[in-house]
Amino acid sequence: MNGEILNPLVIGVLIGGLYALIALGLSMVFGVMRLINLAHGDLVILGSYLSYFIWTSLGLDPILSLVLTIPVLFGLGFFIQQFLMKRAFAISSEAPLIIAFGIALIIQNANQIFFSPLSRGISTSYSGQSFFLGLHQFPVYYLMDFIVALIVMLALREFLRRTYLGRAITAASQDSKAAQLMGINTKTIYGFAFAIAMISAAIAGTFLGMTFPFTPLSGTQFLMIAFGVVIIGGLGSLFGTFMAGLILGLVQTLAGYFLGAASQMLFVYLAILIVLAIRPQGLLGR
Amino acid sequence: MKSLFGKLTPGYLISAVAVILLAVLPVAGMPRSWTLYILLFLIYLAMSNMWNLIAGYSGLISLAQPAFLGLAGYTLAICSWVNVPWWAGMLGGAVVAGIFAFLVSFAVFRLSGVYFAIGTLVVPEALRIAFYLWRPVGGSLAGGGAGYTVKGLSGVGIQDLYWLALVIGLASVIIVRIILRSNLGLALAAIRDNQKAAASSGVNTFRIKLYPFIIGAIITGLAGAVFYMYQPFIEPISTFNVKWTMIILLATVIGGMRTEGGPIIGSIVVVFLYFLLANYGNYSLLIQGIILIVIMLLSPQGIVGIASKTGLYRSIFRFVRRPLRDYRTGPSLPHDS
Repeated sequence: MNGEILNPLVIGVLIGGLYALIALGLSMVFGVMRLINLAHGDLVILGSYLSYFIWTSLGLDPILSLVLTIPVLFGLGFFIQQFLMKRAFAISSEAPLIIAFGIALIIQNANQIFFSPLSRGISTSYSGQSFFLGLHQFPVYYLMDFIVALIVMLALREFLRRTYLGRAITAASQDSKAAQLMGINTKTIYGFAFAIAMISAAIAGTFLGMTFPFTPLSGTQFLMIAFGVVIIGGLGSLFGTFMAGLILGLVQTLAGYFLGAASQMLFVYLAILIVLAIRPQGLLGR
Repeated sequence: MKSLFGKLTPGYLISAVAVILLAVLPVAGMPRSWTLYILLFLIYLAMSNMWNLIAGYSGLISLAQPAFLGLAGYTLAICSWVNVPWWAGMLGGAVVAGIFAFLVSFAVFRLSGVYFAIGTLVVPEALRIAFYLWRPVGGSLAGGGAGYTVKGLSGVGIQDLYWLALVIGLASVIIVRIILRSNLGLALAAIRDNQKAAASSGVNTFRIKLYPFIIGAIITGLAGAVFYMYQPFIEPISTFNVKWTMIILLATVIGGMRTEGGPIIGSIVVVFLYFLLANYGNYSLLIQGIILIVIMLLSPQGIVGIASKTGLYRSIFRFVRRPLRDYRTGPSLPHDS
């Protein structure tokens, strides 16, 4: 194999893991509440900014800062579901969508006000380090993205299978009426489902901030990537989500390699639109 | 003649007076700033009316509207660079927007409900990058990107644009009115309420949804072209921008989604809001987002919804709909003699 092409292939697979992690929360909210959370990308970026803020003001390592950002986003997710979305669902089918759009713009604008519109990035003592694959050298944070994505996904799977709350969430997503009859308080369960999705968003945000530069407007871009992952991977399968992340990561890095970095996102969007046109139920979906 | 008079209601009279007033205002010495406000109102009116048709009445939450107005604006700008007259550029822009809506529909119409919204959100994002990379005419610009000034507008004054916008805004109101009272409107309501039931009753759901989507794209494109003649500079970042979607959504939701009067009232409010928030530019999206959420939660049908709840709407409605003929026989009306 040509050594040059190894570079985009490896990086594509590794950031694909990050994309899957970003999509995880979107997929969960959609799977449980049938809501495409248009604010998901901006919530992830909010996580990046919170980590950045803690890193610059307290000097805390971004991974340690998760101790603080996870509760904030957990609470925010619970609040959004219990105080806004719960009412919106009772109004009409488009109301939650419009409200999510409003939340997205509020977070975007708030990020702009508090953290300025400048592009930011989190760099740590280990972000300059690299690992070797054969003769090639790769930044170590790409590998961290991939490993963390795997850990979070496995943890979420075990959580959904083994704990009461996890099983209740699964039950509510499969048949909310039957779950209610079994004595599950679905309204609270929805709140926790949204909040747990936001935990994954907080983790994704921190690692996104260590991997890519981000601005308050980056949310839309990552919402689209997350949506692409959900579309390609199909719903309900963590394996599908993971594979879809890898596919989109590879599309991006290979398009960047062959056609120039400026057009790489265009090809990601085109890939999403083509999949929508050909197989709306997802490449890997049922 | 008699039957025509029988159909004549105060509603038509008020609308006719309002339209005539709007049409003569710029020559009647209205301040220039007001001409701009109303111009903007008419552009927003056309766009939000079309969004109301697509999203409110057809149930397709389209977030792709900036794509249509941007493509029309770009067509206009590019045409003006190759010496095509502005009116041909504007019509060409509307046609391009319509064709683009047709092409995009193959991808996004396979999605329903929530999927549709986010599928359409991808479209302006992709176009923004495409126009950032691609500069069709006029040589390359320093720093990349495809910013254009719209040329050849020397003969077009602000008043001409105003009248143009008035025609488009009015057309949007009339088109929605006609569609809702036609078989198409009936089919749309059927699809929105239950797509499967509509399809099994013989409604071609794909085609029926396509009509409002394309009509919406064309009118939105026309309004966008007028906007880019008023502000004769176009570049990808502010054009294919979610701020447009926000304005259109806000106007429709504040006024009242799925009501015919909603976009009219909502557009007036949005124009006021636009100038009120001009001093707080940094916070404007934040404030708009909060207003959007609050209105949606408290009164899903917007101002029209509030008015109808308090009974105000019904009394206005009754007044506006009652044929004039009845007033002549009415006992207690002052002009009765």
